Amino acid sequence: MIMSKLKEVIICLRAGRVTLPYPFEPSVVPEGFRGTPQVDVEKCIGCAGCANVCPVRLIQVYDDDETRRLIWHLERCTYCGRCAEVCPEQAVIMSKEFETSTNARADLHIVVDLDMGPCRRCGRCFPPPNPLDRMMVTGFREAPPLEWL
Amino acid sequence: MLFIIGAGALNLFIALGLSPLYEGIVRKMVRARIHSRTGPPIRQPYYDLLKLLGKENLQVAPGWLLTLAPQVAFAAVLLAALLVPMGLHRSPLAGYADVIVLIYVMTTAAVAVVIGAAASESPYATIGAGREIMLLLVAEPVVVIALLTGVVQTHSLRLSTLAEWQLAHGLTAPTAFAAVALFLSLQVQAGKLPFDLAEAEQELVGGPFTEMSGPRLALFKWMFWAKEVVFASILTAVFLPWPHIPLGLFGAGALAAGLAGTLAVMVNLVKILVVVALMGVVDAVMPRLRIDQALNYFLGLIFVALVGLTLAFVS
Amino acid sequence: MTSQELMDRLKQRFGEAIASAREPAPGAVYLGIAPQAVGPIADCVSNEMGARFLITTGTDERPLPEGGFRVSHIFSFDQDKLFCILQTRVNGDDPEVDAITPKVRGAMWAERELFDVVGVKSRNHPDPRRLLLADDWPAGLYPLRKDVPFDIKPEPDFSARPQLAEPPEGASVLPIGPFFPVLEEPAYFRVFVEGETVVGCDYRGFYNHRGIEKLGDSALTYNQVPFLAERICGICGFIHSTCYCQAVEQAVEIEVPARARFIRSLMLELERVHSHILWLGIAGHIIGFDTILMQAWRIREPVMWLCEKISGNRKTYGMNLVGGVRRDIPKEDHEEILGVVGKVEREMAEVIGAIVGDTPLIMRLKDVGPLPEKDAREICVAGPTARGSNVAIDSRIDHPYAAYPEIGVEIKVQPGCDVLARTLVRLEETMESIRQIRVALHEMPDGPIMARVDAIPAGREGVSVVEAPRGEAIHYVLTGDDNHLYRWRVRAPTYPNLQAVPTMIQGQQIADVPISIGSIDPCFSCTERMEVVDTRTQAVRVFSQQELLELSRRSRR
Repeated sequence: MIMSKLKEVIICLRAGRVTLPYPFEPSVVPEGFRGTPQVDVEKCIGCAGCANVCPVRLIQVYDDDETRRLIWHLERCTYCGRCAEVCPEQAVIMSKEFETSTNARADLHIVVDLDMGPCRRCGRCFPPPNPLDRMMVTGFREAPPLEWL
Repeated sequence: MLFIIGAGALNLFIALGLSPLYEGIVRKMVRARIHSRTGPPIRQPYYDLLKLLGKENLQVAPGWLLTLAPQVAFAAVLLAALLVPMGLHRSPLAGYADVIVLIYVMTTAAVAVVIGAAASESPYATIGAGREIMLLLVAEPVVVIALLTGVVQTHSLRLSTLAEWQLAHGLTAPTAFAAVALFLSLQVQAGKLPFDLAEAEQELVGGPFTEMSGPRLALFKWMFWAKEVVFASILTAVFLPWPHIPLGLFGAGALAAGLAGTLAVMVNLVKILVVVALMGVVDAVMPRLRIDQALNYFLGLIFVALVGLTLAFVS
Repeated sequence: MTSQELMDRLKQRFGEAIASAREPAPGAVYLGIAPQAVGPIADCVSNEMGARFLITTGTDERPLPEGGFRVSHIFSFDQDKLFCILQTRVNGDDPEVDAITPKVRGAMWAERELFDVVGVKSRNHPDPRRLLLADDWPAGLYPLRKDVPFDIKPEPDFSARPQLAEPPEGASVLPIGPFFPVLEEPAYFRVFVEGETVVGCDYRGFYNHRGIEKLGDSALTYNQVPFLAERICGICGFIHSTCYCQAVEQAVEIEVPARARFIRSLMLELERVHSHILWLGIAGHIIGFDTILMQAWRIREPVMWLCEKISGNRKTYGMNLVGGVRRDIPKEDHEEILGVVGKVEREMAEVIGAIVGDTPLIMRLKDVGPLPEKDAREICVAGPTARGSNVAIDSRIDHPYAAYPEIGVEIKVQPGCDVLARTLVRLEETMESIRQIRVALHEMPDGPIMARVDAIPAGREGVSVVEAPRGEAIHYVLTGDDNHLYRWRVRAPTYPNLQAVPTMIQGQQIADVPISIGSIDPCFSCTERMEVVDTRTQAVRVFSQQELLELSRRSRR
């Protein structure tokens, strides 16, 4: 027993003190770390693919005739990274930020307001104000059937 | 008279004022080092006591025993501190009390813990109290036999006489046995692993201290730390009084005696630190034993102590 | 015995009672049987043919064409690599079916849960108490029925009391839980003691229901479920997401690319390494040996950093999707992985060498918490709890999945039947996992990591098991319409293992109860996946029980 205790003490003492000095020194995270999402609104096209795949449904989509508003409620985020993965424009990245505690909920909200153009195929979504303008956009193309909507 | 007050104040200061420091040093320098972590600051036990003393005194069960138990335990250990020499040639109350009183007082402290546990009416405390009594029944005899060995050798019931006898005769076999037995029983007196069964956090929440909070818990914690220091001092000042700093080391006169006395106390404090650190090492590398395993261990230890006693009778 | 032979044998024996026998995917035999034949067939399969009971699933199929409630008992023939699923259909609003528990001891909890979630009563069940739902959940409201919405907030039934067993004559109650220092999650082991000896035990758990199965089959799409599955457990999350994906892939016959299978195996073994080392620390802490806790977790920490680098997060790797994995492990990382596991291997070998001679430690583990082999087989425990009692089962060998056929698995069994045996099994498995990680990295083929997945058809069933560090986890799925599941059943390994705890602690001392509970490596959060009721705070004037309860619950939004 004494020998094994000695071996244990040697293992312990050889390791030294391994406590990291965080938060007095910052904690460095590796590349590819999934921190809080950040949205580049310049790149966002308002496809709402992110809203579709988010497992916790933190992205709300509000449409009116001309604009689409995406509200991200990042207090619900589980940092899975699906939004960044499916975004076709790489507008969403998972940053390296993980210290997101705040006592103001609004700090964790991202609101993206986009002026949307009408769909050039069917003209239904975000329609132009009158049928004439609509024809300017869609031409004589027939609108596809509604089943898939 | 002056000596009683002065030495008494010194002993109380060491037992009360310095015992949290010892605890803090062991926590950070020994336990945390072995755990490979930074550990709390050395002053932490003082902060713990301050915080606990400032909290509300919850009356979790009816009756005054709940309030009285920690106070009795604390007072008993303070009295024991006055009966044990801590570096000077004799203890403050040397002329008034001797080994028998010391044994009774130590037992009172342990019994007060048990009574407090029983008064708190918690199932965890009841089981913890039962374990505490069982440990008491096997650990106290070791201390008693060790002290009796000294008594038999010196034909005196005074602790300081034993120290002087030791210095005159060197380390003899019976005393060696007694010292070893006493050292090996220190872990349970201080409530440290492998014998912290009574307060086994993982098994019994808090054991006897489950329902204790605030000032009551502060007194109990402090009592354990003081008990550790007092017992360590019995070992270092009575059974192993080397190196010896005689009062006349720096010459005659009150100042010289004062200097020599201070040095003697310092040396004792360092020895206590060594003992306490060793206890901390054992505490960090041992798992908790079950009650039956602990009882077997102590029965063996009683046997070792009895060997010493027999040798003392024979020689 | 092949699947055909199994079907033939049972048809020969039971004739008309077996209405249908099909094998939609190789290795999974589904038998449709008449309700009155459930007991005898289960008895035959389990006791005569030696199958192991896995779990029971109740599905509310009233909206579907066939109607009624379908009860499926899932068994496993480990030696033959077969699943045998006995399915029966019962109708009516208060349906009943014969209990199989009298013959199959392992089904005790499964049938209690069956009643709690879909309301199918098991006749002649020896202990028909509530298992899953909170004590004040109103009676008659069965959450997994399709007419109950997933975000329902019923009024609590304040008159309800927990149905706890009383201690025998002369014994007193030592409550271990619901809040206790050694349990990481709330669980109530009501231990009956005489002095220091344990004479009996009752268990009330499931305090942390979260509504995972209900969420999975109502609110989430197929590719959102892996992220929920990953959060079933904080230690073995990847196991659950892999198992779910595999179940759907089996149901819809998706072939996962080889590289993805290897990546899955690699991450699974990394998870096993970190989980076993974590357990070693917890076991040390339970017996008061905090030094093992600190050192084991120090040794384990590089594995967490490695996983953070590979997957983006220390624990919730988020790498599984139906059809493969979504994140590759490039060759540049292989070197680092080998370095980390090599260091862990060296340090663990050192620690094992040091603690093997540690007498006081061994004294606390040897002959403690004994689970005889016979009981282990009857209660159908899994994982190191079973392998420590000489039962040689391991899903990686019995129902191979991911890349294990290519990697090869050596099963580690110990005959001791006590806590020490389970400890040794886990330590040996850690070393074996490190060996497997090396093989996986070496053998990993190039290629795609995600298969093409088209629209998933409804009405397909799939069963998958994955060997978690605690034992096998099993997921059963029934696909539904519109990118949603119809039914998702999860059984974590701790579910059967917890049922073995009363046997383990009988006659032991109190001091041995926490380490016995700890030796099954309990992961309570894995075991609890039912709905939790939220109430909003209200103003309080008089402190009645109702108001106190509402005060203590806060809205989550």
